[in-house]
Amino acid sequence: MNASREEAARSLDDVHMIAERTRKAIAYAGADIVFVIWGIIWFIGYLSAQFFPLQAHWVWMVLVIGGMIASALTFRSRSPVVSPLGARLGAFWLLLCLFVGLWSWLLSPFLSVPAQADANDFWMHMHAITATIVMFAYVVMGLWLRSFMLWLGLGISALTVLGLLFLQPLFWIWMAVIGGGSLVVTGLIVRRKWQ
Amino acid sequence: MIVPGLNEIIHQPVRLRIMASLSALGPGERLDFTYLRTLLGVTDGNLGAHLQKLEEARYIKLTKTFVNRKPCTHIGLTAKGRAAFTAHVAALQGLLEGVESRQ
Repeated sequence: MNASREEAARSLDDVHMIAERTRKAIAYAGADIVFVIWGIIWFIGYLSAQFFPLQAHWVWMVLVIGGMIASALTFRSRSPVVSPLGARLGAFWLLLCLFVGLWSWLLSPFLSVPAQADANDFWMHMHAITATIVMFAYVVMGLWLRSFMLWLGLGISALTVLGLLFLQPLFWIWMAVIGGGSLVVTGLIVRRKWQ
Repeated sequence: MIVPGLNEIIHQPVRLRIMASLSALGPGERLDFTYLRTLLGVTDGNLGAHLQKLEEARYIKLTKTFVNRKPCTHIGLTAKGRAAFTAHVAALQGLLEGVESRQ
């Protein structure tokens, strides 16, 4: 078959460009919306802990279940790829939630909620643990799939610890603005950069 | 210049781009027809004709399903297609690197 060097060079450029665009579309389809959804969930959830501490657990439960359903629907409708990986990722997040519940139950004999005066401090630590477990999952996914989730996970974990250690009076607002804000900004960057 | 190893079916520009896009998928993954059409900037009919040619060569596999009662076509690369595409790209690289044969 006939071909010139110029034609070969053009064809190879085309191959690399199309393959790269497909990879990015697969990796980021729907991710922008999902990051924004979870950023808003963090924002509302942590603000509820600040202003309605007694109802915050219920608010979080509704938000997390709603967020998981919205994330699954977003990935399902936006992804151009049918992939066995998608189902495995969904299972990964579901199992993570179940394991967090299991660990909380296993630890419950040692975790009695203190008297009202110290309860806020107790719940700040509990939320910091949960947030860093979720961010650890981001770190694992970042190592596994794409690097920016690694840095996002490490960054928000560091900010969570920073807030817990040095900004306790503002901890819930700190987590709402810095944690939730980081997720929203990440979603907007993903949208701007890849779409 | 005659280049051994170039695949006549894959070398056509639209089919080359189809194969390039599908080559980015992992094992068992399939790409949505509508996404592929948008990515390549071709019409339904044009893409359908090229896909048929690749399917006849058993380089790709089409799967038709219904999502929310709408017909949906997904395209995946077969092992034969991946091998053929890899060989074609290697032949193009060989040509660029000066490994050529005149017949």
